[in-house]
Amino acid sequence: MEWAAKNFDFVLELSVTHLLISLVPLVLGSVLAFALVRLTPLKLAGTIGTTFSAIYAIPSLAVFVALPAVIGTSYLGPTNVVIALSIYVAAAMFFSIRDAFSQVSKPTVFIARAQGLSPLQLFVHVELPLAIPGLIAGLRVAAASTVSMASIGAIVGVRNLGYLFLDGFQRKIPEEILTGLFAIFIIGIALDLGLWALGKVLTPWTRRSAQRV
Amino acid sequence: MFSIGELFDWLTDAENWTGRYGLANLFVEHLTLTLVSLAIAGLLAIPIGVAIGQSGRGETLVIAISSASRAIPTMGLMFALVMFMGVEFRQFAVVLALVGIAIPPVLAGAYAGIKSIPIVIREGARAQGMTTLQQIRHVGLPLSASSIAGGFKIAYLQVVSTVVLAPLVGLGGLGFGVIQGLALRDFAQLTGSAVVIVLLSITGERLLAKAQGKLDRRLTQSKINR
Repeated sequence: MEWAAKNFDFVLELSVTHLLISLVPLVLGSVLAFALVRLTPLKLAGTIGTTFSAIYAIPSLAVFVALPAVIGTSYLGPTNVVIALSIYVAAAMFFSIRDAFSQVSKPTVFIARAQGLSPLQLFVHVELPLAIPGLIAGLRVAAASTVSMASIGAIVGVRNLGYLFLDGFQRKIPEEILTGLFAIFIIGIALDLGLWALGKVLTPWTRRSAQRV
Repeated sequence: MFSIGELFDWLTDAENWTGRYGLANLFVEHLTLTLVSLAIAGLLAIPIGVAIGQSGRGETLVIAISSASRAIPTMGLMFALVMFMGVEFRQFAVVLALVGIAIPPVLAGAYAGIKSIPIVIREGARAQGMTTLQQIRHVGLPLSASSIAGGFKIAYLQVVSTVVLAPLVGLGGLGFGVIQGLALRDFAQLTGSAVVIVLLSITGERLLAKAQGKLDRRLTQSKINR
Protein backbone atom coordinates (compact mmCIF):
# COMPACT_ATOMS: atom_id res chain seq x y z
CA MET A 1 0.00 0.00 0.00
CA GLU A 2 3.10 2.16 -0.15
CA TRP A 3 2.30 3.40 -3.63
CA ALA A 4 -1.25 4.41 -2.65
CA ALA A 5 -0.01 6.28 0.42
CA LYS A 6 2.66 8.13 -1.56
CA ASN A 7 0.23 9.15 -4.30
CA PHE A 8 -2.78 9.73 -2.10
CA ASP A 9 -3.51 13.26 -3.39
CA PHE A 10 -3.28 12.12 -6.99
CA VAL A 11 -5.63 9.17 -6.38
CA LEU A 12 -8.05 11.49 -4.57
CA GLU A 13 -8.03 13.91 -7.50
CA LEU A 14 -8.72 11.05 -9.93
CA SER A 15 -11.47 9.75 -7.64
CA VAL A 16 -13.26 13.10 -7.63
CA THR A 17 -13.17 13.21 -11.44
CA HIS A 18 -14.33 9.61 -11.54
CA LEU A 19 -17.25 10.32 -9.24
CA LEU A 20 -18.28 13.39 -11.24
CA ILE A 21 -17.98 11.60 -14.57
CA SER A 22 -20.32 8.91 -13.18
CA LEU A 23 -22.80 11.13 -11.36
CA VAL A 24 -23.48 13.56 -14.21
CA PRO A 25 -24.48 10.79 -16.66
CA LEU A 26 -26.59 9.12 -13.95
CA VAL A 27 -28.62 12.29 -13.51
CA LEU A 28 -28.78 13.24 -17.20
CA GLY A 29 -29.58 9.70 -18.33
CA SER A 30 -32.31 9.20 -15.73
CA VAL A 31 -33.97 12.51 -16.64
CA LEU A 32 -33.83 11.59 -20.34
CA ALA A 33 -35.23 8.11 -19.67
CA PHE A 34 -37.98 9.54 -17.46
CA ALA A 35 -38.98 12.06 -20.13
CA LEU A 36 -39.07 9.30 -22.75
CA VAL A 37 -41.18 7.01 -20.59
CA ARG A 38 -43.72 9.68 -19.64
CA LEU A 39 -43.91 11.75 -22.79
CA THR A 40 -43.76 9.32 -25.68
CA PRO A 41 -46.97 7.74 -26.90
CA LEU A 42 -47.50 4.06 -26.16
CA LYS A 43 -47.14 3.18 -29.83
CA LEU A 44 -43.53 4.38 -29.89
CA ALA A 45 -42.51 2.68 -26.63
CA GLY A 46 -41.68 -0.62 -28.36
CA THR A 47 -39.44 1.07 -30.91
CA ILE A 48 -37.61 3.04 -28.24
CA GLY A 49 -37.16 -0.13 -26.18
CA THR A 50 -35.64 -2.02 -29.13
CA THR A 51 -33.36 0.91 -29.97
CA PHE A 52 -32.16 1.16 -26.39
CA SER A 53 -31.44 -2.55 -26.05
CA ALA A 54 -29.42 -2.36 -29.29
CA ILE A 55 -27.47 0.66 -27.97
CA TYR A 56 -26.88 -1.17 -24.73
CA ALA A 57 -25.20 -3.94 -26.72
CA ILE A 58 -22.49 -1.66 -28.14
CA PRO A 59 -19.11 -1.76 -26.35
CA SER A 60 -18.45 1.54 -24.58
CA LEU A 61 -15.08 2.24 -26.21
CA ALA A 62 -16.75 1.94 -29.63
CA VAL A 63 -19.39 4.49 -28.57
CA PHE A 64 -16.74 6.86 -27.16
CA VAL A 65 -14.88 6.95 -30.47
CA ALA A 66 -17.91 6.76 -32.79
CA LEU A 67 -19.70 9.75 -31.21
CA PRO A 68 -17.39 12.41 -32.72
CA ALA A 69 -18.26 11.15 -36.20
CA VAL A 70 -21.98 11.36 -35.41
CA ILE A 71 -22.24 14.62 -33.46
CA GLY A 72 -18.94 16.31 -34.30
CA THR A 73 -17.42 16.53 -30.81
CA SER A 74 -13.68 16.28 -30.21
CA TYR A 75 -12.17 12.75 -30.09
CA LEU A 76 -10.47 13.17 -26.74
CA GLY A 77 -11.81 14.56 -23.49
CA PRO A 78 -14.77 14.01 -21.20
CA THR A 79 -17.63 15.24 -23.44
CA ASN A 80 -18.02 12.00 -25.41
CA VAL A 81 -17.67 9.91 -22.29
CA VAL A 82 -20.38 11.85 -20.44
CA ILE A 83 -22.73 11.71 -23.44
CA ALA A 84 -22.10 8.01 -24.05
CA LEU A 85 -22.54 7.08 -20.38
CA SER A 86 -25.75 9.15 -20.24
CA ILE A 87 -27.11 7.15 -23.18
CA TYR A 88 -26.23 3.87 -21.43
CA VAL A 89 -27.91 5.05 -18.23
CA ALA A 90 -30.97 6.16 -20.22
CA ALA A 91 -31.06 2.76 -21.94
CA ALA A 92 -30.98 0.91 -18.62
CA MET A 93 -33.29 3.29 -16.77
CA PHE A 94 -35.89 3.37 -19.56
CA PHE A 95 -36.90 -0.18 -18.68
CA SER A 96 -36.67 0.18 -14.90
CA ILE A 97 -38.63 3.47 -14.86
CA ARG A 98 -41.32 1.97 -17.08
CA ASP A 99 -41.58 -1.12 -14.86
CA ALA A 100 -41.46 0.90 -11.62
CA PHE A 101 -44.47 2.98 -12.68
CA SER A 102 -46.41 0.09 -14.17
CA GLN A 103 -46.04 -1.79 -10.87
CA VAL A 104 -48.01 0.90 -9.01
CA SER A 105 -51.29 -0.87 -8.32
CA LYS A 106 -54.15 0.30 -10.52
CA PRO A 107 -56.80 0.42 -7.74
CA THR A 108 -54.61 2.85 -5.77
CA VAL A 109 -54.45 5.16 -8.78
CA PHE A 110 -58.22 4.90 -9.35
CA ILE A 111 -58.97 5.67 -5.71
CA ALA A 112 -56.68 8.69 -5.77
CA ARG A 113 -58.36 9.92 -8.93
CA ALA A 114 -61.80 9.35 -7.42
CA GLN A 115 -60.76 11.43 -4.42
CA GLY A 116 -60.33 14.31 -6.82
CA LEU A 117 -56.53 14.50 -7.12
CA SER A 118 -55.35 16.44 -10.15
CA PRO A 119 -52.98 14.61 -12.55
CA LEU A 120 -50.04 16.50 -11.03
CA GLN A 121 -51.10 15.72 -7.45
CA LEU A 122 -51.71 12.11 -8.44
CA PHE A 123 -48.20 11.92 -9.81
CA VAL A 124 -46.41 13.70 -6.96
CA HIS A 125 -48.33 12.17 -4.05
CA VAL A 126 -49.29 8.71 -5.27
CA GLU A 127 -47.47 7.38 -8.32
CA LEU A 128 -43.96 8.71 -7.63
CA PRO A 129 -43.72 7.62 -3.98
CA LEU A 130 -45.04 4.15 -4.81
CA ALA A 131 -42.60 3.80 -7.71
CA ILE A 132 -39.56 4.76 -5.60
CA PRO A 133 -38.45 1.22 -4.61
CA GLY A 134 -38.37 0.22 -8.30
CA LEU A 135 -36.62 3.47 -9.32
CA ILE A 136 -33.95 3.08 -6.63
CA ALA A 137 -33.35 -0.56 -7.57
CA GLY A 138 -32.86 0.49 -11.20
CA LEU A 139 -30.55 3.35 -10.22
CA ARG A 140 -28.39 1.05 -8.10
CA VAL A 141 -27.79 -1.28 -11.06
CA ALA A 142 -27.14 1.67 -13.39
CA ALA A 143 -24.78 3.33 -10.90
CA ALA A 144 -22.66 0.21 -10.43
CA SER A 145 -22.18 -0.35 -14.15
CA THR A 146 -21.61 3.37 -14.84
CA VAL A 147 -18.88 3.64 -12.22
CA SER A 148 -17.00 0.65 -13.63
CA MET A 149 -17.61 1.62 -17.27
CA ALA A 150 -16.37 5.18 -16.68
CA SER A 151 -12.84 3.82 -16.21
CA ILE A 152 -12.73 2.95 -19.93
CA GLY A 153 -12.94 6.72 -20.56
CA ALA A 154 -9.27 6.91 -19.55
CA ILE A 155 -8.38 5.46 -22.97
CA VAL A 156 -9.81 8.56 -24.66
CA GLY A 157 -7.94 10.87 -22.32
CA VAL A 158 -10.25 11.38 -19.32
CA ARG A 159 -8.18 11.66 -16.15
CA ASN A 160 -10.19 9.35 -13.91
CA LEU A 161 -9.34 6.19 -11.98
CA GLY A 162 -9.06 4.21 -15.21
CA TYR A 163 -5.84 6.15 -15.79
CA LEU A 164 -4.27 4.11 -12.98
CA PHE A 165 -4.88 0.92 -15.02
CA LEU A 166 -3.20 2.31 -18.14
CA ASP A 167 -0.34 3.98 -16.30
CA GLY A 168 0.20 1.09 -13.89
CA PHE A 169 0.34 -1.38 -16.77
CA GLN A 170 2.78 0.69 -18.80
CA ARG A 171 5.07 1.40 -15.86
CA LYS A 172 4.65 -2.13 -14.46
CA ILE A 173 3.38 -1.05 -11.04
CA PRO A 174 0.87 -3.70 -9.92
CA GLU A 175 0.02 -1.65 -6.84
CA GLU A 176 -1.24 1.19 -9.04
CA ILE A 177 -3.69 -1.12 -10.83
CA LEU A 178 -4.86 -2.58 -7.52
CA THR A 179 -5.33 0.92 -6.10
CA GLY A 180 -7.51 1.77 -9.09
CA LEU A 181 -9.60 -1.39 -8.67
CA PHE A 182 -10.00 -0.75 -4.97
CA ALA A 183 -10.90 2.95 -5.37
CA ILE A 184 -13.50 2.17 -8.05
CA PHE A 185 -14.93 -0.59 -5.88
CA ILE A 186 -15.20 1.85 -2.93
CA ILE A 187 -16.91 4.51 -5.07
CA GLY A 188 -19.34 1.87 -6.35
CA ILE A 189 -20.16 0.65 -2.84
CA ALA A 190 -20.52 4.23 -1.53
CA LEU A 191 -22.94 5.17 -4.32
CA ASP A 192 -24.87 1.95 -3.78
CA LEU A 193 -25.18 2.58 -0.03
CA GLY A 194 -26.13 6.21 -0.69
CA LEU A 195 -28.92 5.19 -3.05
CA TRP A 196 -30.12 2.50 -0.65
CA ALA A 197 -30.27 5.05 2.18
CA LEU A 198 -32.04 7.53 -0.11
CA GLY A 199 -34.63 4.87 -0.88
CA LYS A 200 -35.21 4.24 2.83
CA VAL A 201 -35.56 7.96 3.58
CA LEU A 202 -38.00 8.48 0.72
CA THR A 203 -40.20 5.55 1.71
CA PRO A 204 -40.68 5.94 5.49
CA TRP A 205 -43.90 3.92 5.44
CA THR A 206 -42.06 0.68 4.58
CA ARG A 207 -40.08 1.04 7.82
CA ARG A 208 -43.10 1.87 9.94
CA SER A 209 -45.14 -1.09 8.71
CA ALA A 210 -42.17 -3.38 9.30
CA GLN A 211 -41.99 -2.19 12.92
CA ARG A 212 -45.67 -2.81 13.49
CA VAL A 213 -45.31 -6.39 12.31
CA MET B 1 -12.84 16.10 -39.11
CA PHE B 2 -13.48 13.42 -41.67
CA SER B 3 -16.49 12.58 -43.77
CA ILE B 4 -18.76 9.58 -44.19
CA GLY B 5 -17.20 9.15 -47.63
CA GLU B 6 -13.76 8.64 -46.08
CA LEU B 7 -15.21 6.09 -43.68
CA PHE B 8 -16.84 4.26 -46.59
CA ASP B 9 -13.56 4.33 -48.53
CA TRP B 10 -11.67 2.92 -45.57
CA LEU B 11 -14.20 0.14 -44.99
CA THR B 12 -14.32 -0.85 -48.67
CA ASP B 13 -10.54 -0.79 -49.19
CA ALA B 14 -9.50 -4.45 -49.51
CA GLU B 15 -6.14 -3.63 -47.98
CA ASN B 16 -7.77 -2.90 -44.63
CA TRP B 17 -9.34 -6.35 -44.54
CA THR B 18 -6.29 -8.54 -45.24
CA GLY B 19 -3.06 -9.30 -43.40
CA ARG B 20 -2.20 -9.81 -39.73
CA TYR B 21 -3.97 -6.63 -38.60
CA GLY B 22 -6.64 -6.70 -41.32
CA LEU B 23 -10.27 -6.52 -40.22
CA ALA B 24 -10.93 -10.15 -41.25
CA ASN B 25 -8.20 -11.54 -39.03
CA LEU B 26 -9.03 -9.20 -36.12
CA PHE B 27 -12.71 -10.15 -36.41
CA VAL B 28 -11.89 -13.87 -36.18
CA GLU B 29 -9.61 -13.21 -33.21
CA HIS B 30 -12.28 -11.18 -31.47
CA LEU B 31 -14.95 -13.80 -32.02
CA THR B 32 -12.66 -16.70 -31.01
CA LEU B 33 -11.64 -15.04 -27.73
CA THR B 34 -15.31 -14.32 -26.99
CA LEU B 35 -16.66 -17.77 -27.83
CA VAL B 36 -13.87 -19.70 -26.07
CA SER B 37 -14.40 -17.67 -22.88
CA LEU B 38 -18.18 -18.08 -23.05
CA ALA B 39 -17.83 -21.85 -23.58
CA ILE B 40 -15.51 -22.25 -20.58
CA ALA B 41 -17.76 -20.05 -18.44
CA GLY B 42 -20.79 -22.12 -19.49
CA LEU B 43 -19.08 -25.40 -18.62
CA LEU B 44 -18.28 -24.07 -15.16
CA ALA B 45 -21.30 -21.90 -14.34
CA ILE B 46 -24.24 -23.95 -15.68
CA PRO B 47 -23.61 -27.05 -13.51
CA ILE B 48 -22.96 -24.90 -10.43
CA GLY B 49 -26.01 -22.70 -11.06
CA VAL B 50 -28.24 -25.73 -11.63
CA ALA B 51 -26.87 -27.47 -8.54
CA ILE B 52 -27.49 -24.39 -6.38
CA GLY B 53 -31.00 -23.92 -7.78
CA GLN B 54 -31.84 -27.60 -7.36
CA SER B 55 -30.47 -27.99 -3.84
CA GLY B 56 -31.38 -24.52 -2.59
CA ARG B 57 -27.96 -24.32 -0.91
CA GLY B 58 -25.54 -21.45 -1.59
CA GLU B 59 -28.17 -19.04 -2.87
CA THR B 60 -26.61 -16.06 -1.09
CA LEU B 61 -23.39 -16.88 -2.94
CA VAL B 62 -25.10 -16.40 -6.32
CA ILE B 63 -26.61 -13.09 -5.24
CA ALA B 64 -23.31 -11.87 -3.77
CA ILE B 65 -21.33 -12.83 -6.88
CA SER B 66 -23.74 -11.21 -9.29
CA SER B 67 -23.95 -7.93 -7.38
CA ALA B 68 -20.22 -7.69 -6.65
CA SER B 69 -19.36 -8.44 -10.27
CA ARG B 70 -21.19 -5.33 -11.44
CA ALA B 71 -19.00 -3.09 -9.30
CA ILE B 72 -15.68 -4.49 -10.57
CA PRO B 73 -14.38 -2.72 -13.69
CA THR B 74 -13.66 -5.35 -16.34
CA MET B 75 -10.79 -3.27 -17.67
CA GLY B 76 -8.97 -3.27 -14.32
CA LEU B 77 -9.59 -6.99 -13.84
CA MET B 78 -8.00 -7.80 -17.20
CA PHE B 79 -5.02 -5.50 -16.63
CA ALA B 80 -4.41 -6.85 -13.13
CA LEU B 81 -4.52 -10.50 -14.26
CA VAL B 82 -2.11 -9.91 -17.17
CA MET B 83 0.23 -8.01 -14.87
CA PHE B 84 0.27 -10.67 -12.17
CA MET B 85 0.51 -13.70 -14.46
CA GLY B 86 3.19 -12.09 -16.60
CA VAL B 87 2.99 -10.64 -20.09
CA GLU B 88 4.20 -13.92 -21.64
CA PHE B 89 1.02 -15.62 -20.39
CA ARG B 90 -1.25 -12.74 -21.43
CA GLN B 91 -3.40 -14.90 -23.72
CA PHE B 92 -4.20 -17.21 -20.81
CA ALA B 93 -4.63 -14.27 -18.42
CA VAL B 94 -7.08 -12.49 -20.75
CA VAL B 95 -9.16 -15.65 -21.24
CA LEU B 96 -9.18 -16.13 -17.46
CA ALA B 97 -10.39 -12.55 -16.97
CA LEU B 98 -13.08 -12.99 -19.65
CA VAL B 99 -14.24 -16.27 -18.06
CA GLY B 100 -14.46 -14.44 -14.75
CA ILE B 101 -16.56 -11.74 -16.39
CA ALA B 102 -18.86 -14.27 -18.09
CA ILE B 103 -19.46 -16.54 -15.11
CA PRO B 104 -21.75 -14.29 -12.96
CA PRO B 105 -24.50 -13.69 -15.57
CA VAL B 106 -24.51 -17.34 -16.76
CA LEU B 107 -24.56 -18.55 -13.17
CA ALA B 108 -27.43 -16.21 -12.33
CA GLY B 109 -29.31 -17.30 -15.48
CA ALA B 110 -28.98 -21.02 -14.66
CA TYR B 111 -29.90 -20.48 -11.03
CA ALA B 112 -32.91 -18.27 -11.82
CA GLY B 113 -34.05 -20.73 -14.49
CA ILE B 114 -34.23 -23.62 -12.05
CA LYS B 115 -35.71 -21.40 -9.34
CA SER B 116 -38.54 -20.17 -11.59
CA ILE B 117 -39.84 -23.68 -12.26
CA PRO B 118 -43.14 -24.05 -10.38
CA ILE B 119 -42.78 -26.15 -7.25
CA VAL B 120 -45.64 -28.40 -8.48
CA ILE B 121 -43.61 -29.43 -11.52
CA ARG B 122 -40.42 -30.03 -9.57
CA GLU B 123 -42.15 -32.02 -6.86
CA GLY B 124 -44.15 -33.87 -9.51
CA ALA B 125 -40.95 -35.01 -11.17
CA ARG B 126 -39.64 -36.23 -7.84
CA ALA B 127 -42.91 -37.97 -7.00
CA GLN B 128 -42.72 -39.91 -10.27
CA GLY B 129 -39.55 -41.48 -8.92
CA MET B 130 -37.02 -39.58 -11.05
CA THR B 131 -33.49 -39.54 -9.69
CA THR B 132 -31.90 -36.12 -9.13
CA LEU B 133 -29.97 -36.45 -12.40
CA GLN B 134 -33.15 -37.38 -14.29
CA GLN B 135 -34.94 -34.41 -12.74
CA ILE B 136 -32.20 -32.10 -13.96
CA ARG B 137 -31.94 -33.69 -17.42
CA HIS B 138 -35.64 -34.04 -18.22
CA VAL B 139 -37.21 -31.23 -16.18
CA GLY B 140 -34.71 -28.69 -14.89
CA LEU B 141 -32.57 -28.05 -17.96
CA PRO B 142 -35.34 -27.97 -20.60
CA LEU B 143 -37.45 -25.60 -18.51
CA SER B 144 -34.58 -23.25 -17.67
CA ALA B 145 -33.05 -23.21 -21.18
CA SER B 146 -34.43 -19.78 -22.04
CA SER B 147 -33.19 -18.27 -18.77
CA ILE B 148 -29.73 -19.75 -19.42
CA ALA B 149 -29.77 -18.24 -22.93
CA GLY B 150 -30.62 -14.88 -21.33
CA GLY B 151 -27.60 -15.25 -19.05
CA PHE B 152 -25.39 -15.97 -22.06
CA LYS B 153 -26.73 -12.88 -23.81
CA ILE B 154 -25.61 -10.59 -20.97
CA ALA B 155 -22.29 -12.46 -20.70
CA TYR B 156 -21.73 -12.08 -24.46
CA LEU B 157 -22.22 -8.31 -24.31
CA GLN B 158 -19.81 -7.94 -21.40
CA VAL B 159 -17.18 -10.19 -22.94
CA VAL B 160 -17.37 -8.66 -26.43
CA SER B 161 -16.88 -5.18 -25.00
CA THR B 162 -13.99 -6.26 -22.79
CA VAL B 163 -12.21 -7.96 -25.73
CA VAL B 164 -12.22 -4.51 -27.37
CA LEU B 165 -9.66 -3.54 -24.69
CA ALA B 166 -7.42 -6.59 -25.35
CA PRO B 167 -5.00 -4.71 -27.67
CA LEU B 168 -4.00 -2.57 -24.68
CA VAL B 169 -2.38 -5.66 -23.13
CA GLY B 170 -0.83 -6.79 -26.40
CA LEU B 171 -3.49 -9.09 -27.85
CA GLY B 172 -5.46 -8.68 -31.08
CA GLY B 173 -9.15 -8.27 -31.72
CA LEU B 174 -11.17 -5.48 -33.30
CA GLY B 175 -10.14 -2.98 -30.63
CA PHE B 176 -6.75 -2.84 -32.36
CA GLY B 177 -7.98 -0.39 -34.97
CA VAL B 178 -9.54 1.83 -32.28
CA ILE B 179 -6.40 1.95 -30.13
CA GLN B 180 -4.09 2.45 -33.10
CA GLY B 181 -6.44 4.98 -34.68
CA LEU B 182 -6.46 7.00 -31.45
CA ALA B 183 -2.66 6.92 -31.22
CA LEU B 184 -2.07 7.82 -34.87
CA ARG B 185 -5.03 10.22 -35.19
CA ASP B 186 -6.30 8.01 -38.04
CA PHE B 187 -9.98 8.79 -37.65
CA ALA B 188 -11.07 6.69 -40.62
CA GLN B 189 -9.44 3.59 -39.12
CA LEU B 190 -10.81 4.50 -35.70
CA THR B 191 -14.41 4.93 -36.83
CA GLY B 192 -14.25 2.06 -39.34
CA SER B 193 -13.13 -0.35 -36.63
CA ALA B 194 -15.83 0.98 -34.29
CA VAL B 195 -18.45 0.29 -36.97
CA VAL B 196 -17.34 -3.35 -37.29
CA ILE B 197 -17.36 -3.71 -33.47
CA VAL B 198 -20.91 -2.33 -33.36
CA LEU B 199 -22.02 -4.78 -36.07
CA LEU B 200 -20.46 -7.74 -34.22
CA SER B 201 -22.00 -6.86 -30.86
CA ILE B 202 -25.47 -6.03 -32.12
CA THR B 203 -25.66 -9.09 -34.42
CA GLY B 204 -24.59 -11.38 -31.57
CA GLU B 205 -27.06 -9.80 -29.16
CA ARG B 206 -29.91 -10.13 -31.68
CA LEU B 207 -29.07 -13.80 -32.38
CA LEU B 208 -28.99 -14.67 -28.68
CA ALA B 209 -32.21 -12.73 -28.04
CA LYS B 210 -33.82 -14.68 -30.90
CA ALA B 211 -32.62 -17.97 -29.44
CA GLN B 212 -34.02 -16.97 -26.07
CA GLY B 213 -37.37 -16.07 -27.65
CA LYS B 214 -37.49 -19.38 -29.50
CA LEU B 215 -36.84 -21.36 -26.31
CA ASP B 216 -39.52 -19.30 -24.57
CA ARG B 217 -42.05 -20.03 -27.29
CA ARG B 218 -41.26 -23.74 -27.17
CA LEU B 219 -42.14 -23.64 -23.49
CA THR B 220 -45.48 -21.93 -23.95
CA GLN B 221 -46.37 -24.24 -26.84
CA SER B 222 -45.64 -27.33 -24.79
CA LYS B 223 -48.05 -25.96 -22.20
CA ILE B 224 -50.82 -25.68 -24.81
CA ASN B 225 -50.21 -29.22 -26.12
CA ARG B 226 -50.64 -30.59 -22.68
